[in-house]
Amino acid sequence: MNTPIESRARRRALKTLAATGMALGGLSLGLLTPAQVLAAAPGMPLPDEAVADTLVRLFGDRKPQPAGEHIKLDAPLIAENGSVVPIRIESDLPMAADNYVKHVYIISDKNRRPLNAKFTLTPESGRLSMATNVRMAGTTDVRVIAEMSDGTLWEAKQEVKVTVGGCGG
Amino acid sequence: MKHQRMWIVGLAAAAFATVQAADFVDTNQSRATPEAQGGIVDGKQKRYAGPPFGGVPNDWSEWPGYRDDKPYPAPQQATLPADLKGDADNGRKLYMSRAKAPCTGCHLIRGDDVWPAGNVSTDHQQIGDRYATPEAEAVLYQYIYDSRVINPQSFMPPWGTVGILSPQEIVDIIAFLKTQRGPLPEEKDPARNPNTRPLPENYFGDNLDPTNNAAVVLAEGAIDTWTRQGPKGKSCADCHGEIEKMQGIAAQYPKYFPLYRRVMSMEDLVAWHGADETGLELPSQGAENIHLALLIRMQSNGMPVAVDIESPEAKAAYERGKALYYQRVGQRNHACADCHDADRGGGKFLGGRLLGKKTDGMTRHFPTLRTNFAQIWDMRKRMQWCMTPLGMNYLPADAVEYAEIELYLTSFDNGKPISAPGMRH
Amino acid sequence: MATGQVRIRVPDGVKAGDVVTVRVLVTHPMEVLRMEGGKPVEKNYNFIHRMAATYNGKTVFEAETTQAVSQNPFFSFPVKVTEPGKLQIQFEDTEGRSYTGETDIKF
Repeated sequence: MNTPIESRARRRALKTLAATGMALGGLSLGLLTPAQVLAAAPGMPLPDEAVADTLVRLFGDRKPQPAGEHIKLDAPLIAENGSVVPIRIESDLPMAADNYVKHVYIISDKNRRPLNAKFTLTPESGRLSMATNVRMAGTTDVRVIAEMSDGTLWEAKQEVKVTVGGCGG
Repeated sequence: MKHQRMWIVGLAAAAFATVQAADFVDTNQSRATPEAQGGIVDGKQKRYAGPPFGGVPNDWSEWPGYRDDKPYPAPQQATLPADLKGDADNGRKLYMSRAKAPCTGCHLIRGDDVWPAGNVSTDHQQIGDRYATPEAEAVLYQYIYDSRVINPQSFMPPWGTVGILSPQEIVDIIAFLKTQRGPLPEEKDPARNPNTRPLPENYFGDNLDPTNNAAVVLAEGAIDTWTRQGPKGKSCADCHGEIEKMQGIAAQYPKYFPLYRRVMSMEDLVAWHGADETGLELPSQGAENIHLALLIRMQSNGMPVAVDIESPEAKAAYERGKALYYQRVGQRNHACADCHDADRGGGKFLGGRLLGKKTDGMTRHFPTLRTNFAQIWDMRKRMQWCMTPLGMNYLPADAVEYAEIELYLTSFDNGKPISAPGMRH
Repeated sequence: MATGQVRIRVPDGVKAGDVVTVRVLVTHPMEVLRMEGGKPVEKNYNFIHRMAATYNGKTVFEAETTQAVSQNPFFSFPVKVTEPGKLQIQFEDTEGRSYTGETDIKF
């Protein structure tokens, strides 16, 4: 049985091979820079991105509306370091077959690359309730954006102050 | 100094033991990993390569430590140089410079960019009102240069005497401090001010849940070490049985062992007794050592700490540990007590970090996951890192001095439940 | 740290139709970007970039993760279970290795 990752990894590996082959072909013609060839590897650094650009990249011209009571975002007000910042999300947004939270995005505005992670849920998820630990480069707003199956966006936002320096522990 | 003598007696006894049938094991030679021994290579201490130790460029070989009687400079009179003019802007930079101290670790000044400031010592937001005259300025100069001249009880490092701040730099800082005057501006953010900042919440969740604390997962992997036969044909399990049989054992540690004639933590015991019996190499600060010591300690989770400080040997070790805790060492002339006694820094903010208070007990969660470095630290690595703000090179992880300080500290945890591995920032 | 160990925790006493909160952790260094001279060092950093959970073979939750997810990634997520079965969770890092954990959910 192929798990989704296996099959997707295989597809991507094939795609990466194809891309590399093409890129190398391109290189021989002097059309692509080495950086573009390297960009095919999934762990290569991506360029810095301002949060406004991240939002446009992810959502185009769709603007998230404040989720108010619909999303409860639980993050520490003060995090003693930015390496492990727990984020908990509870929501009463619908999870019905015809209208459900399809994706959840966690975005730390001031990070070099603001998108921390993107999650995909299904109507079988039953209820939006999830958690993870993220990294923050420093004091920043963290946003959780829920994307409904119809493309509607809901946003919850909170500032996390990250203290640095000192020793402690 | 008491310690120094004990050390020499130990060496003499060790020499004797090689002639006689050994009735104890000489532990003077460290059994820590090379970097955890912190030996001097090319005139500089060889420290852990990884964070955070790897980022500290200093070598403090010339300054007094627990094991030597290198002299510390006597209090020095200092006169405000009349020819120097202070630059307040540069003074503020120096005041906030992490490389210099930073002063904001202990003192609060004005400014939304001052984040995070500590409150170990005096609030400086209005110090300019208190030191407005030229005479007062001279006092301030002496205080920063070497506070011991004015107040022998002061635990501020003598910045001028030890050469961390030059006369010009001190004059710049004074020029800056003079700007800290008049009514306080409204505090926009209560968290900026350490006196109104909320205490850190425990936001890491259940530290004993393996889906929350990776240290649990790694320690559970040490069952392989527990059951692995070494070159001597024995495993830990061969003598001790199932790991669960270790329940309650770690609560008694650190503990005095006649065989080693010293106090040992569980990590020390793994490095010495564990290695001697099985033939496995389990050096202090090696991953196997820490994971196994943690796995053994986890068997006592929820049980009250019960270290012996009454038997004559334990009592003597406790007293030496206490003396070391109060002993001033390093370039900064600090003692453990400066940060962890309630009448000094204990329970206050050092920069953004809340300092542990000795009397609350500071040992029950060790070994602990340091989330910011993704490393598991036992008490010893914690102590080794504590040497950095003291301005002292660290001792080997299995040093008896650390074992005795650990016994002294652990005594404040007596009766309180073990919960290891902890999770800390 | 031993990389790629997966731990899954589901609550006891699950009944048909319950929304179960699954907790999962994988030990992984999630290598951090290094900067030199103000620029990222160009190399293939090793971090988990994908995670997927299946229940009885059907995908129920997926994550695309970046270096801005903490070391030893942890996730908790909901699954509505209507029948007993096998929950399988797989992680893949940017060096192409994958790590799998599974657990049975019984009623």
